[in-house]
Amino acid sequence: MRETVIDAHNLSKIYDEKTIPVYALNKVHLHISRGEFTAIKGPSGSGKTTLLNMLGGLDIPSEGFVEINGTNITALKGNELVDFRLNNIGFVFQSYNLIPVLTAKENIEFIMLLQKRPEKEREQRVLELLKQIGMEDKINKRPRELSGGQQQRVAVARALAPKPQFILADEPTANLDSVSAENLLDMMLKLNQEENMTFVFSTHDQRVINRARRVITLEDGKIVSDTAPTTVEHI
Amino acid sequence: MLTKIASRNIWRSRKRSLIIITAVSIGLWTGIFMMAFYNGMIEQRINSAISSELSHIQLHHPEFRKDYEIKYYLPEGRKMLEKIANKQEIKAVAGRVIIKGMIASASGSSGITINGVMPAEEQLLTNLKGKIIKGSYFNPKKENEILISEKLRKKLKLNLNKKTILTFQDREGNLASAAFRICAIYKTINGPYDDANVFVKITDVDSLAGIPKAINEIAVLLHSSKSVLEIQKNLSQQFPKSEIKNWMEISPELGLTVSVGDQMVYIFMGIILLALAFGIVNTMMMSVLERTREIGMLLALGMNKFKIFMMIILETFFLILAGCPIGILLAFATIGITNQTGINFSEFSEVYSSFGYSSIIYPTLTWNQFGNIVILIILTALFSALFPAKRALKLKPAESLKK
Repeated sequence: MRETVIDAHNLSKIYDEKTIPVYALNKVHLHISRGEFTAIKGPSGSGKTTLLNMLGGLDIPSEGFVEINGTNITALKGNELVDFRLNNIGFVFQSYNLIPVLTAKENIEFIMLLQKRPEKEREQRVLELLKQIGMEDKINKRPRELSGGQQQRVAVARALAPKPQFILADEPTANLDSVSAENLLDMMLKLNQEENMTFVFSTHDQRVINRARRVITLEDGKIVSDTAPTTVEHI
Repeated sequence: MLTKIASRNIWRSRKRSLIIITAVSIGLWTGIFMMAFYNGMIEQRINSAISSELSHIQLHHPEFRKDYEIKYYLPEGRKMLEKIANKQEIKAVAGRVIIKGMIASASGSSGITINGVMPAEEQLLTNLKGKIIKGSYFNPKKENEILISEKLRKKLKLNLNKKTILTFQDREGNLASAAFRICAIYKTINGPYDDANVFVKITDVDSLAGIPKAINEIAVLLHSSKSVLEIQKNLSQQFPKSEIKNWMEISPELGLTVSVGDQMVYIFMGIILLALAFGIVNTMMMSVLERTREIGMLLALGMNKFKIFMMIILETFFLILAGCPIGILLAFATIGITNQTGINFSEFSEVYSSFGYSSIIYPTLTWNQFGNIVILIILTALFSALFPAKRALKLKPAESLKK
């Protein structure tokens, strides 16, 4: 039996609870195991980003809770939650969201610095990741000197750097051209295969959906379909 | 890493950073210069008061200063003078006979203080000769000579070599009067002082006042202002029957001028700091609001709120650090130049003179004051950064990332 990484129980997010309640998420149950490459799809406003935010501890559910490796993160407060995110969850956002004043190397190193990892370990990991994403020659480039695809690859490397439990990616290919999107997907799939890294995407992009091992469809805050989970080994 | 991010962040919006750096520079420059200007003005006023009017320490009969009555003189005054003159810390000492009286001419009369002085000693003490603009200093061979001020000369329509009448009460309370010939006209920077003081030789008035060979005031000038309290204490022990006062005690209004001026400078500084604070709050707030998404991303990645807070504070600190050297350099250059050349307000000399100030101001500043201003500016800037930093702390990652 595969290890469960994310366990969401009865998740609801209700806006305007006191007037006319709007369910951004409505009693969602979700289990994600280690090594999954999962896409969450659905039309705009279906609750994809909200679900991703809940799974990443960026937003608090109105009902239900999320367990990551057995830790109820919904119960964590303040710095406890921040530290949990820092040490367990990797994020890739839609609009690259690199720190503009830092170089590619410094961006990748950033989370490890927050974790106070030793310099030698950081250097080694950064070089390893830059090689994996094929950007050794861009080590000292700042985000504005990189293309959208390159920035997104650095963002993935940054998310991977501290070896998190899983990576949450909110529409990672949304702003990329088709070649860059394919390259990014290839890279993430490779990391999924080689490092058994768990990826969860929210996406509209059919290319991502086609490459995903598991596809969850959301509509009006509810899961309307969930394909059988498969890991790379099972393909 | 925080330092690196903060220091690089300040150059993201060059125009905005330059505005705040300029504001800090101008604030510092104006603040330091104003302080130096005021210092120069007050220092000149005090120096002038000490060197021309009060000296550092004065000795009197304990009752004398209540009503300036002649009968309260220092019987042992001349011996006291000798003893004081022997002290190492003393630069100059002189005895005086101070009489409140009237000066009269054909055109009118005026209430004045008649300063019966020892010409040679007084010259060392107050450089009275140096203030003469017309005529010549006391001639030892001549009797009943008088030095009057230019203001008094105009007021009483007097002139050099003309006679004037001094009238006052002697030791017994009888009216005494004598004619004095004007040997010189003097002028100081202090209009009110000039209005109210005339100088005669002590030997010409002591007998007339009924206290021959006696004195009722001893004025002491020290080599250094720092030893005033020590020498005052020392003299008090040596002459316990006399009243011994330092210049601040003799002229409390001068102390008041200093403190009122201090308050004015602090009010002015307060306005500068307030403007600076508004500028910083505005700039840093814009910076935080523009970076809402970025700050949300940092929070999401695991940067805790304390680090976000420190990042904003550090950014402000670096902006100030960039502005400080420019402001300090400008201030030092301006003070350096004006300290040599002086700032000439001779067009307003009458106004300055009426308050006892020189119309040429030489700005000056102590390191202590300079340090205080710099610390004050840095504290204001950091304090101003608290508001935007607090705003950044309120951001929630999920909401911020949507922006």
